[in-house]
Amino acid sequence: MHEFLAQLVNGISLGGIYALIAIGYTMVYGIAELINFAHGDVYTLGTFVALAIFGALGISGELHGIALVVDSGLALIGAAVCCGLIGMAMERLAYRRLRNAPRLAPLITAIGVSFILQNLMQLWKGSAPIPFPAVLPNPRFDLGPVSITAQQIAVVALAVAAMFALQIVVTRTRTGAAMRAVAQDRQAASLMGVDVDRTIAITFLIAGLLAGVGGFVSGVYYQSTWFLNGFSAGLKAFTAAVLGGIGNIAGAMLGGFLIGIIESFATWLIGGQWSNVTVFAILILVLVLKPSGLLGERVPEKV
Amino acid sequence: MLSRSLVLRLCAAAPLAFALAACSSNASTASSSAAQAPAGNAVKIGIDLPLSGADSSVGRSTLNGMLLAIEQANAKGLPGGVTLQPDQLDDAVQGVHSPQQGVANARTFISDDGVLVMLGPYNSNVAAAQIPVTNAAGLAQISASTVSDGLTLGDDAKNLRRANPTTNTFFRVSTTDSRQGAAAARFARQLGKKTVYIIDDNETYGLDLANVFEKDFTQLGGTVIGHDHIDKGTQDFKALLTKIAATKPDLIFYGGTTSTGAGLIRQQMFDVGLGNTAFMGGDGIPDIATVAGPRADGTYYTVAAPNADKLLSARQFVRDYEARFHEPIGPYSANAYAATQVAIAAIAAATKENGGKVPTRAQVLAQIAKTNALSTPIGPVGFDAGGDVLEPVVSLYTIKNGQPVFISQQSVSK
Amino acid sequence: MVYAIAAIVIAFAVAIDRVRTKRTKLLLLAGLAVLLAVAPRLGGSDASVNALVDIGIYVVLALGLNVVVGFAGLLDLGYAAFFAIGAYTYAMLASPQFGLHLPFWVLLFLAAALASLCGIVLGAPTLRLRGDYLAIVTLGFGEIVPQVFQNLTKYTGGPNGIGALDVPTFFGIPFGQSALPYYYVTLAAIALTLLLTNNLRASRLGRAWMAIREDQLAAAHAGIDTTRSKLAAFALGASFSGFAGVIFAAKLSLVSPDLFQFQVSVLVVSMLVLGGMGNIPGVVVGAVLLGLLNGTVLPQLDTIATDVLHVHADLTQASFLIYGVILVGLMLFRPEGLLPDRERRAEMHAAPNEVV
Repeated sequence: MHEFLAQLVNGISLGGIYALIAIGYTMVYGIAELINFAHGDVYTLGTFVALAIFGALGISGELHGIALVVDSGLALIGAAVCCGLIGMAMERLAYRRLRNAPRLAPLITAIGVSFILQNLMQLWKGSAPIPFPAVLPNPRFDLGPVSITAQQIAVVALAVAAMFALQIVVTRTRTGAAMRAVAQDRQAASLMGVDVDRTIAITFLIAGLLAGVGGFVSGVYYQSTWFLNGFSAGLKAFTAAVLGGIGNIAGAMLGGFLIGIIESFATWLIGGQWSNVTVFAILILVLVLKPSGLLGERVPEKV
Repeated sequence: MLSRSLVLRLCAAAPLAFALAACSSNASTASSSAAQAPAGNAVKIGIDLPLSGADSSVGRSTLNGMLLAIEQANAKGLPGGVTLQPDQLDDAVQGVHSPQQGVANARTFISDDGVLVMLGPYNSNVAAAQIPVTNAAGLAQISASTVSDGLTLGDDAKNLRRANPTTNTFFRVSTTDSRQGAAAARFARQLGKKTVYIIDDNETYGLDLANVFEKDFTQLGGTVIGHDHIDKGTQDFKALLTKIAATKPDLIFYGGTTSTGAGLIRQQMFDVGLGNTAFMGGDGIPDIATVAGPRADGTYYTVAAPNADKLLSARQFVRDYEARFHEPIGPYSANAYAATQVAIAAIAAATKENGGKVPTRAQVLAQIAKTNALSTPIGPVGFDAGGDVLEPVVSLYTIKNGQPVFISQQSVSK
Repeated sequence: MVYAIAAIVIAFAVAIDRVRTKRTKLLLLAGLAVLLAVAPRLGGSDASVNALVDIGIYVVLALGLNVVVGFAGLLDLGYAAFFAIGAYTYAMLASPQFGLHLPFWVLLFLAAALASLCGIVLGAPTLRLRGDYLAIVTLGFGEIVPQVFQNLTKYTGGPNGIGALDVPTFFGIPFGQSALPYYYVTLAAIALTLLLTNNLRASRLGRAWMAIREDQLAAAHAGIDTTRSKLAAFALGASFSGFAGVIFAAKLSLVSPDLFQFQVSVLVVSMLVLGGMGNIPGVVVGAVLLGLLNGTVLPQLDTIATDVLHVHADLTQASFLIYGVILVGLMLFRPEGLLPDRERRAEMHAAPNEVV
């Protein structure tokens, strides 16, 4: 029981990071119908940008008081904005022209963009893992049998907050209405006066912002990164998005947490080398039983 | 219309291209033999390493060690006025080191008459694919970093050499997993560790090292509580470490490299209350402080070379390297330098033997096999019949305040 | 030599794609076959022959995947798994690993059968999934297979893989270490694959696939058994991959899990899309181009930089970047591929949302 709870905590905090990436995947897919393979690399870029900002501020150790709020805030916002802009630029340069091209063409450009981002990061910082300063204090709280660190709580809180904020944007704002319209039927939306280009660009911006936040969080939490980090994290996050029902924001979060938990439990009970196999095997099983994901709606194949 | 003219042009181009193929291939064989004959003194050293993607940093610092040795030898001059010319090829495809590409590169070197010796590869499974090819062609290869036992020992090695069973073309200055794992197990027992939990990265180097450590540590009376493997790309080791924390081991042994997990594991040990538990690994983790920072302190690791502080050649090498490349040496730079020294010494000796003329591959191979007590930054190097280093020494270091501190060394044989 | 042969193949493929009459096509194809058959005799090193074999294996893989993705429209992101199954079949049944030494020629077909069986096992429960869900299931399968080979150390040699595989023989004559025998085996394999996939395309099954690809609902209403047709595509596509895996393993004399990662699946999909999905000459062009780029151009970037461009730059460090830029650039330039499928081209230009 003891260890069960401890592993649950591990899994949920790991899942929080997957959730932040998965939400971006799911939004882009829901609205632009594109598997954005470069999304995981945007997330890694977030860590790199945060690292560069801390480096520029001359920070290498733990922050306290006002510096904690200002400096880490700067790095967080810097990473998010930078990734948001990269996301938009990606859409403008590599995807927009292909919107009416055969479906697989943007998949290939996404892979191409992913290679480009990875290589740029490798040229920037090398291919070895790079350290990230331990900037945030990380007190531990003992809650009965398990102990939780402040950062673990923060990761989960951030993921949940991001999900609710997005739900509000999507359901309550004009932009959100435009997004839903574009997701439903791009042509009809365009005829109704929705600016499709702008809406899709905003979607990429939001997805990039979240990836940037995820990148910052992962840097602070793991105190390390490397240029290929986004590959396996992105793959898991994509899996999470599909598991939850792709296109569904709450589903992406649920999927993220589930993948985190499955991974932790697989490592604990079966062995670390089987954790990826278990994740993908459960994914296949779930999809066989529920073909549109856990929270996805059954939609007929588009004609 | 445009497409029709395109077709015509392409159809016209086909025979032309074919003619070109015939000439250029003739030309290339002619030119490569020509390059050797009239110039009379250019010798190519083929280098096969992963130079792009995930291994590129470590591949690049290994390459730099080789280039430094070649540059120094050229500056000093070789017998017969021979000049050395490095020819490096990348064996990573789409960012992952590939045995397939390694073989393609080895064949490229074999097809080029100017190449007398090949350095590399970096990875053991690339070597396992290359050895049958270089063995059949009689091209010597010297690796700076491969560790898998099966490349030089036992039936596995015999099977790799079946095209030409009497000739060995593969040499390495790195130490086998079995020697290093055994030494690490003895060190661990000498440090008074009774119980160990073993983790490995499930890759060639790490898994074999961990398996040998497990076997030897048990034989020496220690208890292995558990042995887990990790998945590649894992960043979060808390689940595994939480499980290990419950078993309270004296020592956690890690088979693998800093980049496959050692740095993160050491760091996350503190998050689950294992901060005071000893942590140990092999020569894949001397750079652990680059990831784990101050938390790297107290880590033990082994290196297959005598105490570097006492070795003049080692200090000189580090100075030269840093002056030339303006960055610290990589984990296999010194090995790479040593491997290249072996190749150069063999070329020099073979040239002398050949009356000052550029020698053949067979002559160079024979000289490499005869290498004995050559002074290098990793100690004196000579080879046994299988291509492994003679009388190897393994040293134990720990990290204090981010700096390596030598503890002790031992000689190991098979 | 590698570049010249690649150029010749591409030129012929373009010509075959453009000419109308079947007779001219066959004549061109026969001409190409003769040229390729005599090519290694006209000079050219073992290294270039080896590079051509590597490209040839990609051609077989791309043609096989074309059945699944191009003909039937099922996005498969785990094709390397079947390649791995083929290669490991040879490695386990023709090596010192278990002391079994079955003949290469038997294993070629056994591996193809085994791979297609695996295709059915994976396909049967998952083929009712919608397009992109199927993609992720295949991706998952592609991740699972090499990982299982890596974890089952006792049987598969784990991360080290299995080395020293048997050298094939041809009527008792061993292939040896030269790449030349593999060149002819690969040529034959390509010929067989071309023949089979081309016939499939024109067959009843091929027309069913195209109907499914265009509109699954309508196809079902028209009386096509969609699940069975899709399953057939999956199984047939997988069998080519298994077949290619045996040649690959035998030539390399080694299998290890890192040879069959996600990158390989992605590379083969890129070949299809780049060349022109569904169109056989296009697929060949895509495979030759990307195979050449990855196997010959990118590994030699440092040499090319110094010898050809006369710059002393560390181009290899940027090989990913160069590859990525090429992918993006070509896709933006020709979204439908270099040599698109004629029927698809017609569709594309008739598509109503072309206006937007």
